[in-house]
Amino acid sequence: MISKPAVGVAGLLGRPYKTIRLEWSSDLRLLRVRTCVRPIQCYSLAAMGELQQMLGDISANPGLVRHFVMSSDVPNVFNFGGDLALFVLLVRAGDVESLRLYGKRCVDLVWWMENAANLDVHTTVLSQGDTLGGGLESVLPFHKVIFERRAQAGFPEVLFNLFPGMGAWDFTIRKAGFAVASEMILSGRLYSADELHYRRLVDIVVDDGQGETAIDNVVREVDPRHRGTLAALRAQRMAAPIRYESLLAIVDLWAESALGLTDRDLRLMERLARAQARKAGGADEGAVEELKLMELEAAWGDRRARFDRRNLSNDRRVRS
Amino acid sequence: MLSFFAELVGATDEDRRGFETHPVVIDAVAHGMPVQRYRALLLELYHVVWHFNPVCAAAASRIGDEQMAVRHFLYTHMHEESGHELWVLNDLEAIGVATETVRDHAPAVHTLALNGYNYWVADRRHPCSALGMLYALEVIASVYGGPFAAAIRESLLLEGDRGVSFLASHASLDTQHMSELRQIMNTVRSEHALAAVVESARVNFHHFTRIIEAI
Repeated sequence: MISKPAVGVAGLLGRPYKTIRLEWSSDLRLLRVRTCVRPIQCYSLAAMGELQQMLGDISANPGLVRHFVMSSDVPNVFNFGGDLALFVLLVRAGDVESLRLYGKRCVDLVWWMENAANLDVHTTVLSQGDTLGGGLESVLPFHKVIFERRAQAGFPEVLFNLFPGMGAWDFTIRKAGFAVASEMILSGRLYSADELHYRRLVDIVVDDGQGETAIDNVVREVDPRHRGTLAALRAQRMAAPIRYESLLAIVDLWAESALGLTDRDLRLMERLARAQARKAGGADEGAVEELKLMELEAAWGDRRARFDRRNLSNDRRVRS
Repeated sequence: MLSFFAELVGATDEDRRGFETHPVVIDAVAHGMPVQRYRALLLELYHVVWHFNPVCAAAASRIGDEQMAVRHFLYTHMHEESGHELWVLNDLEAIGVATETVRDHAPAVHTLALNGYNYWVADRRHPCSALGMLYALEVIASVYGGPFAAAIRESLLLEGDRGVSFLASHASLDTQHMSELRQIMNTVRSEHALAAVVESARVNFHHFTRIIEAI
């Protein structure tokens, strides 16, 4: 539930959040948000509720925040996207209403980012790890998107017969064009930071560990030209507008498509959730490696991929 | 206005995630568990499943005609769940635990707390609370049962559904149950009933997490 808006910096920073950590730099009026939905970094209902609360507080205090910077506190993961277990639950229950509600909450978050310039807020996001599905959708409306080289991203939904429904099409088309959006969404492939930069979805790629410096550079560069930059970004969005109604219509389509998922599709989703659990439990390999395996399976067929997996685990056993 | 089921999903989401993200559950779903711990889990599960229908019966006996659809739903559900404790017995036998051992096993305090709460809340709070128990246990079975059964199968090198028949079959059985449960919940209009169902679901998630944590 969203409470009454906070007043001033003390109010903004004073809420007892569990899934986000806030820092304030008064010289630049910069709000730094670090997400930490532990142990599986995804957009859970609680995490989205807290983000919405915090964004509502910014809206309620016009002029207070000049720079909004978001990153993840979870090592090697920016965000795995949707809460897969919740999706499985809602699909199995046939609950299209809750699926729509979930989608709408996601859209409300990207819609705030889309309109941040109207609140005189410049937004920057840093990804230092896996950025999947809804995780990637959530970074696209930021004014400046920075990826460290180790970060990988993509829209894997098609691998389990779904599609990313919370802004992927609109924002990818606007940043990278229709062909790139189709390629990314319909292939389910994962992309390196450099590949995303080449496709213009990521603005800046830096070496691992250089993300913080890159944020600092962006903020220091924008700050003296803040008013003009935001006016230009408002004009940019007027030139290539994205409509809230279109985002919601896609959410409706997404929710209805999700209800059509078969048991096999849900099992693939569960497999991905298991891989996330393995990484959360400290394993080196997680969702990204599982997705690559799924891509292989789709390309070569189940038998070949199982054979490769067996060889891979035998290799590992020999090595250890 | 949100439906009853949608309200329940939202109000108990953190409790569900509390179960899902508990380190012991994460580890079990990712890597399975040693046979001794799996035996201990099934021994506790046997007592949970054994009391499932009696709790539903206790609740049904107190539901009047204003919630007739819920009462009839519980009758049908009890019929479908009838004898499922024997599946747990079979799984235990498959991993080397004799039936006499199971029957002699004293449930852990968390299992007693779970079962005790479910009887108490159906008797003293609101009989519709049984729907909260059903929701929590069916979410656990239908959402986490499949991956957990797969992990157990891999870690204990079990063949087919041998030793995991209860978990594996409920993962698919409860898919249908979840949809029926949503439909019946959406017939309930009372705020008092909703509060009782939410509380019951939260307590069931909590106690079930403690059961797994303690084995």
